[in-house]
Amino acid sequence: MASLISCPHCGVRPKEEFSIRGDATPVRPAPMASDEAWNDYVHVRANPRGRIREHWQHVAGCRRWLVVERDNFTHEVFSVTDAAAARGGAR
Amino acid sequence: MAYDYQAVHVLDGTIGAVPGQRANHLAVHRATAIAVVLAAPGHGAEAAGILVADGAFEARFCGPGEWLVLSEVHAPETLVAELAIRLGAFAFVVDQSHGRVALTLSGPDAARILANGIAVDLHPEAFAVGRAATMLCNHLSVNLARTGIDRFDLVVMRSFAEALVADLKVMARSHDLSVDFATR
Amino acid sequence: MTAYRLASGGLIDRSNTIGFTFDGANLSGHAGDTLASALLANDRLLVGRSFKYHRPRGIVTAGSAEPNALVTIGTGARRDPNTKATVAELYDGLAATSQNRWPSLAFDIGAVNDRLSRFLSAGFYYKTFMWPAAFWEKVYEPLIRRAAGLGRTDLPRDPDGYEKSWAHCDLLVVGSGPAGLAAALVAARSGLRVILVEQDFALGGALLSETTKLDGEAPYIFSRHAIDELHGHPGVTLLPRTTVFGWYDDNVFGAVERVQKHSATIDAARPVERLWRIVAKHAILATGAEERPLVFGGNDRPGVMMASAASTYANRFGVAAGRSVAIFTNGSSGYRTAADLSARGVEIAALIDSRTDASDRAPDGVRVVRGGGIVDTKGRQRVRAVIADRGGFEEMIACDAVAMSGGWSPVIHLACQRGGRPVWSQALQAFLAPEVGDGLVMAGAAAGHYRLSECLDDGARKASAIVEALGRPVAGFERPVVGEEVDPSFTALWHVPGARSKAFVDFQNDVHGKDLGLALREGFGHVEHAKRYTTSGMATDQGKLGNVNAIGILAAMRGVSPAEVGTTTFRPFYTPVSFGALAGSSRDEHAMPVRRSPLHGWAARHGAVFIDAGLWYRSSWFPKAGEKTWRESVDREVRTVREHAGLCDVSTLGKIEVFGPDAAEFLNRLYCNPVLKLPVGKARYGLMLREDGMVYDDGTVSRLGETHFLVTTTTAMAAGVLSHMEFAAQALWPELRVRFLSVSDQWAQMSIAGPKARTILQAVVEDDLSNAAFPFLAAREVRLKGSLKARLFRISFSGELAYELAVPAGYGEAVADALMRAGEPQGLCAYGVEALNVLRIEKGHVTHAELDGRVTPDDAGLGRMMGTSKPDFIGKRLSTRFGLTAADRAQLVGLKALEADKDMRAGAHLLKDGAKPSTVNDQGWVSSVCFSPTLGTHIALAFLKSGRERYGEKIIVWDRLRGVETVAEVCDPVFVDPENRRLMA
Repeated sequence: MASLISCPHCGVRPKEEFSIRGDATPVRPAPMASDEAWNDYVHVRANPRGRIREHWQHVAGCRRWLVVERDNFTHEVFSVTDAAAARGGAR
Repeated sequence: MAYDYQAVHVLDGTIGAVPGQRANHLAVHRATAIAVVLAAPGHGAEAAGILVADGAFEARFCGPGEWLVLSEVHAPETLVAELAIRLGAFAFVVDQSHGRVALTLSGPDAARILANGIAVDLHPEAFAVGRAATMLCNHLSVNLARTGIDRFDLVVMRSFAEALVADLKVMARSHDLSVDFATR
Repeated sequence: MTAYRLASGGLIDRSNTIGFTFDGANLSGHAGDTLASALLANDRLLVGRSFKYHRPRGIVTAGSAEPNALVTIGTGARRDPNTKATVAELYDGLAATSQNRWPSLAFDIGAVNDRLSRFLSAGFYYKTFMWPAAFWEKVYEPLIRRAAGLGRTDLPRDPDGYEKSWAHCDLLVVGSGPAGLAAALVAARSGLRVILVEQDFALGGALLSETTKLDGEAPYIFSRHAIDELHGHPGVTLLPRTTVFGWYDDNVFGAVERVQKHSATIDAARPVERLWRIVAKHAILATGAEERPLVFGGNDRPGVMMASAASTYANRFGVAAGRSVAIFTNGSSGYRTAADLSARGVEIAALIDSRTDASDRAPDGVRVVRGGGIVDTKGRQRVRAVIADRGGFEEMIACDAVAMSGGWSPVIHLACQRGGRPVWSQALQAFLAPEVGDGLVMAGAAAGHYRLSECLDDGARKASAIVEALGRPVAGFERPVVGEEVDPSFTALWHVPGARSKAFVDFQNDVHGKDLGLALREGFGHVEHAKRYTTSGMATDQGKLGNVNAIGILAAMRGVSPAEVGTTTFRPFYTPVSFGALAGSSRDEHAMPVRRSPLHGWAARHGAVFIDAGLWYRSSWFPKAGEKTWRESVDREVRTVREHAGLCDVSTLGKIEVFGPDAAEFLNRLYCNPVLKLPVGKARYGLMLREDGMVYDDGTVSRLGETHFLVTTTTAMAAGVLSHMEFAAQALWPELRVRFLSVSDQWAQMSIAGPKARTILQAVVEDDLSNAAFPFLAAREVRLKGSLKARLFRISFSGELAYELAVPAGYGEAVADALMRAGEPQGLCAYGVEALNVLRIEKGHVTHAELDGRVTPDDAGLGRMMGTSKPDFIGKRLSTRFGLTAADRAQLVGLKALEADKDMRAGAHLLKDGAKPSTVNDQGWVSSVCFSPTLGTHIALAFLKSGRERYGEKIIVWDRLRGVETVAEVCDPVFVDPENRRLMA
């Protein structure tokens, strides 16, 4: 019926405004990193229960990519941050 | 051969006007000049400072470093030119006068009508006059701005304007709503 | 005056008589009645047949826990099955019918099940329908399906409208009884935004049927004053006829408001139901408590009802449950009902109290049987006597109704819907809500405070705490003076020993005490197993009435405390919600917005046939007079483009403008082909990969300025590519100075293709379009005659000399009209996406029919585009994987049908001549097909193992699904103008 996500730019919004990409933990390897590193990045995902970090995009709002840290069992949301800020970007 | 092109509005022939000036009114603007301003990376604050409303245009927040700028005074070309001069290297300016449609919903039930499709709390203390944000209205993304206690502007992608007007009519089904092009 | 209507009293409007029908019989009631109270008043006690045994059943409750009185209200497309008569507001013209009976309620063939009941014990369908296995699909399943379910729905389209609304508040109060009203008053006076929700059509909850005086007056007077005051607070919303059915993440509550369910005439301008999503900072559940039935032999006989329901019918509706009522209780509540009924002149046949040491005082003249119990009831369609047992001595007591009270269970359902488990209270012999944090608290009877004074105090106290937590000054609440009140204490009695007939635990699902014993013996003693095995607490009922007794019985049989048995899982919905309400206005054209191209009007004027393409409506072909099939139109359009020229609407392609000093670098990493050195004023075909090396999307990249690009996407992937770019810019490379914006809706874009394209376009465009001035892949702003600015791109999908012209959307139709006029002498025609598809297949251009997520650039014949010397781009690293470079990968080829009259179908498989169809022999697949008017035969694009080495080979195109097998010749996928002479002309 509803879940609310607090977008750092737009405020509290229902989950319908977002699209979820998946695990935000993997970092894209350097171009010449090992086969294993690339295989892990592209294909391998853990599926833990509990606290997770995910990439959500606020598609119907500011269109920013966000990192949502939440519990996939209790649905508690711990933090929502801009993905660029999470990567230490220049914005 | 004459090359005097006449622009048509996307809602010409499809607006389904509900005539009169009822308690609540939805006005579709024909000739609002609309531009999107994208702050150059690292220059969001400077761009925001320059975009403070000056009577000739109004800037509405869309996302970090991104605004819709509306003007009833400027033509599309002059709005873009004016903004480009003012903003200089701080931002990129894109004409969207044909890409978006601006509408105004006004009346005592305006917030209640919008609550039939919008999840954001529109209580005047929670969404004050002057605030703007992009949000979902049923299935469509719209930029909503409160321009008065009982007055909201909606800006929507052109190709969704017909669907938005149809939706707003349904959202207002329990309320008294007239719909027409704005007279200006 | 009807049979059981009392001479006076109640909150009904006796001056307002309302006509309604039940199973076709004309009956009447009063404004303020429920359907159930009106039926009782009319001596229509028998309202339904039970689910399994088809036993006659009567009204048991006066509220939403009703298990028996499920009726169908309305007719035709407005039928609402399984509506609880006990909460259905009576209105003029209401037409109700009973369910689960045939041919009639009084005589029901299915009642034979009751005689067969020893073959229909718990879990019978798991045992009975096991063999022979072949019988399942043909015999058992249809049989069970026909027997299952209660009411039936109807197929005609629902004529009514529904609405979905959001609401926000500081405090949501669920329930408008004493606790809820006190809480709402405190919060409202303290200036909070309050929503008060009540499932009944009248606000007041228990105060409407309570007799204890408040400030010396009937308590409903207090409730009316409170409601009047609440109406006066601007921040308060009162929602009667609204049921909160679910508690969701982040303190969002789902509620359904019955806007027009209490009227025979529907105002089409308004919804019949409204689904609310209420975002509450805090919520108080003042949902009251549910009285528990007693599990005794024959307790399902019509006329047996809850004691509190008998009180409510008498006090609120002025209806007597019977003329002579036997009361069976394990606590004080039975005495309160005895007092309520006696005060209204109803005879009490006897008050049977299971306790021996009770000190409650019965009304004067009422016979009390202490330490007794009912072991059986007599009567068929209405109870006429009970058999009471005390210490082995039995007596038959004549009566025409039984009021039972088995203690109280707080209504905690909502508080347990998000994983919290109910907590057993030994002191209250009931489950209480768990602590679930600040957002939601219980108040009043729902928190186990049953006395009226406690309810008022608790509601005010809980609201005060919330006001404080919100940092506001707390307004005062002076509790009215409470008259003599009842403390509804009781001594738990899970089942009454010595039952002589079936003692039901769950009336709706026909589960009786023995079924639970059987479940336990057969190893299904866990409460979740017992529920499924016996069906206790399933269906629309969800155990509202019977669950606690079931748990108590299981606990007693297992020799443990009910705390150890625990409860089954609570889930939304608390009461059934219609699909209409859940869908809201999202049906028909409102379910999925329709997008129309800026050239829609132009296409419509030229007679286009439109086709859905995602949300878009695209012009598919433009039939002319005399053309009988779509193929005739498409063939003509293709030939016209190849010989003269055509104009096609390509506005739906995604268009994204990219800005910034790092724009070129960003695009260079996004596309697999090089972008850095693209000159200003030029366009280039671009291919995006996924990180796994497969093609993601294709389009064009145009450089409009040193730091300003325009990229196009396919129509289908427009939204996806934008998100992909945003992810790359924000999450992968936030250090790159780049910004972009979708400009798809700003531009009307048309393709002008064919040998005459330049001549036609030059008539409209000011700038020089000669090959020297505007060569192949030129891309820049031009000025149209009459001074309109436009963007022109010399790109071609058809393989002809072609341009794409983009003008601001509002000018699209006017410019297209001008081009059509200019092109008329040149033979210009409008063409649609079907002809466009034929043209691109003939030219060997790929679309998402080819780029299906399994295809690498090399598979598609585009391997040479890869900028392998670039340090990095998305998909680079994994595109060199062994599997993606294997020599026997399926490669794009063309196919020419060798039998002129036989076509090929996309999805068909390729087999070597003479090979048997098998996975091992599979040589590839067909991705796109068409009839080529240019070649005069059916052609296809296909992926064939090592295909580029096999031109000239005969291959079988095998389509088992449609039963078509065609012989084709493998060839180069570029069927038309492989030297690109037309393109460059």
